Amino acid sequence: MDVSQYLEIFIDESSEHLQTLSDCIMTLEKEPDNKDTINEVFRAAHSLKGMAGTMGFKRMQHLTHDMENVFQEVRSDKIQVDSAMIDLLFECLNAIEAYLDNVKASSDEGTEDNELIIKELNDFIAKAKGEAPAEEAPKEAPAAEQPKDDSEGFQKFELDDSERKAVAEAREAGNHIYGMSVSVSKDCLLKAARAFLVFRAVEEFGQIIVYRPSSQDVEDEKFDLTFSFYIASTESLDKITAAAQNVSEIDRVVSAEIEEEKKEEAPEAKEEKKEAPAASGAPAGGSAPAPTAAKKPAAGKPATNRTVRVDIEKLDALMNQVSELIIAKNSLVSISSTDSGSINSQGFHEQIEYLERITTSLHESVMKVRMVPIENVVNKFPRMIRDLSRTLNKKMELTMTGEDTELDRTVVDQIGDPLQHLLRNSADHGLENAELRAQRGKPEVGNIFLNAYQEGNNVIIQVGDDGNGIDTEAVKQKAIERGIVTPEQAEAMSQKEIVNFLFMPSFSMAKKITDISGRGVGLDVVKSGIEQLGGDVEVKTKLGEGTTFTVRLPLTLAIIQALMVEVRDEKYAIALGSISNIEDIPVKEIKYVQAKEVIHLRGSVIPLVRLDQVLDIEPKDEEPESLTVVIVKRGDSQAGLVVDNLMGQQEIVIKSLGKYITGNKLISGATILGDGEVALILDVNVLM
Amino acid sequence: MDDNKLETMDKVTKQYIVVQIGSEKYGIDIGYVDNIVRMQKITRVPKAQVYFKGIINLRGEVVPVMSVRIKMGLEDDVFTGASRIIILKIEDRGALGVIVDEVCEVVTLSEDEIDRAVGSTKGKDNFINGIGKNGDTLISLFEINAIIDEKDNG
Repeated sequence: MDVSQYLEIFIDESSEHLQTLSDCIMTLEKEPDNKDTINEVFRAAHSLKGMAGTMGFKRMQHLTHDMENVFQEVRSDKIQVDSAMIDLLFECLNAIEAYLDNVKASSDEGTEDNELIIKELNDFIAKAKGEAPAEEAPKEAPAAEQPKDDSEGFQKFELDDSERKAVAEAREAGNHIYGMSVSVSKDCLLKAARAFLVFRAVEEFGQIIVYRPSSQDVEDEKFDLTFSFYIASTESLDKITAAAQNVSEIDRVVSAEIEEEKKEEAPEAKEEKKEAPAASGAPAGGSAPAPTAAKKPAAGKPATNRTVRVDIEKLDALMNQVSELIIAKNSLVSISSTDSGSINSQGFHEQIEYLERITTSLHESVMKVRMVPIENVVNKFPRMIRDLSRTLNKKMELTMTGEDTELDRTVVDQIGDPLQHLLRNSADHGLENAELRAQRGKPEVGNIFLNAYQEGNNVIIQVGDDGNGIDTEAVKQKAIERGIVTPEQAEAMSQKEIVNFLFMPSFSMAKKITDISGRGVGLDVVKSGIEQLGGDVEVKTKLGEGTTFTVRLPLTLAIIQALMVEVRDEKYAIALGSISNIEDIPVKEIKYVQAKEVIHLRGSVIPLVRLDQVLDIEPKDEEPESLTVVIVKRGDSQAGLVVDNLMGQQEIVIKSLGKYITGNKLISGATILGDGEVALILDVNVLM
Repeated sequence: MDDNKLETMDKVTKQYIVVQIGSEKYGIDIGYVDNIVRMQKITRVPKAQVYFKGIINLRGEVVPVMSVRIKMGLEDDVFTGASRIIILKIEDRGALGVIVDEVCEVVTLSEDEIDRAVGSTKGKDNFINGIGKNGDTLISLFEINAIIDEKDNG
């Protein structure tokens, strides 16, 4: 049965069930008697089992089956949920997850039997029934069906009269007769298709004269794992064996040349025996599957595409807007065909405006379709913190808010690792040990939090703890020690600047700083990961009180609102989200601080950035009397970009510069303007 | 399998687009060529490698454009009516435009018309992997990978 078309659904749904299981088991740990949760767990395990079975993932099915058994006992009050059981169940989930990952990567569940876990699961049940733990794996455990003929050579088999005749004829025609015995791998889904491929491969060299089991039986998948045949060929044995071996999911090929038929009287009746159980054990759906269905995705590539589940309402909205688009197009067509003489008529402009409205809302709808709640990523964190709490032997609790905050699918996919890293950092280095917490009068259970919310065009995710905080003095000392700054420079630095040292690649490598400050492991990786998504990260910390990392991410990646500016004759786009205001500044108001140009604007001192200088453009011959300054902000820092001209606001589609042009941090991408010209997008974060 | 046999029976031939750069003729394996476009406005990218002239809009896609002249250490390009941008499609790395002075013709060269003995010499010769002989004219055959490679030989 070809199930590949269901693979995606299977992966999606299994992940969902796994998440449910994980959530519920967490709940169970806190409230072992919660009947509703137990029922839900049971249902999820049951669905998982059913789905794995349907897809033919035997090992996964087996594991979930035994897991379900345990829940069954819990449900009928025969076992009490205890922490050992919770641990075991989490182990199960990990194992199932591993299966699922295998399926994702190769459409195959892999070969790990997880017998240990299965055994432990059964022990639980056995204990409940008052028995001693079962000595061996349960009877239905996949008794690793190794082909019995592990011996080196090829086992000949008995031929009937007509076959013997065919062999003799072939031999007379000058062919060699080779016997081959092929074992398909245990977890092969479509054995018949594999056999077919083997036959096809070897038949390039000659003709198969004898099949064991018969070709019909092989086609119907009525064989266990091994099938054999005689082939008549003029080619060498090695070549044919290699051809057979090349077929994927073939474990072993045993082959030998068959000499004159003297010894053929000593056949092993074994083949016949093997055939019998195989016939009954063959999958019911195994009615000669089309060989083409056996396409195996190229290794290395994930077997499934990435998908987004879309609310039908969102699709409806999309559909409505597309219909409106068509109406708008039709009106334009009719305008152009009727009064072609006066194309500037009012109706034309109205239609353009209408069209603009539609495309904007169409854009919004499409973006919404791509948006998924960050829940998908963060909901594995409570479990992670629980595990960490165990391994680190610290009491801690994770509180999360805003799990329903939505982000672009691409961002959500990639934000998991950085967040996980930050949380681990908080748990491992941030939180103090119990004694120190008691000394400082903090609650015994450490608090780790993850808050997500939307702010303008950004999504903010705050991750932090009420732990020790970062010892900025120690960081400063370290920076001086490593020669990154001079002591004088360090004195002048703000706390924020000092904390930013932690994000430097070399800094995080230093083991010592980890000990002193309790921070800095791989923070550079976190930073670069987030920056790749067009976001940034900031730290606020107070020694002894805790640390908060604020991750700022753009809502979407593909299309942004931007301000187009001109510097000489070059056009640049600045994301509107990062612009706070635009000012005309008379040149004489420019002041100097540490030989750098700044402006003093409404109480804040803002450094000036001459875009023509940073962009390597020829300076102007003479300075105008006043400058147009675009004030950009990132968090608390600001900068004033000096431009020549403002062109206006525009919705731009972000295109990547590709992989060739490198080392350019200033330019985050390019966009194509209405007239076909290319404009570059400035990444103002780099300028601050 | 049959295809293989056919190929071995025929001599291995490859088609090359012959372009003029400076006083020399160069050949580009046609397998890498996606397109040839007229010179158009190239948007400069600040801080990019010197041999990148910038980016162009190729039917809605942004394509970086490289000056082989600068990469090979020759003098800067002078754009004329004959200047063209050859768009190379390289697997995994996407499209790349290369500026040439002129596109001359397409030739078919078999392996025995190509002198492979020149690749080992130092300097800018690194960019070619052979000299093709087409009648009287000699065509330096570009090693595409050396051109797209990050190493700055200019």
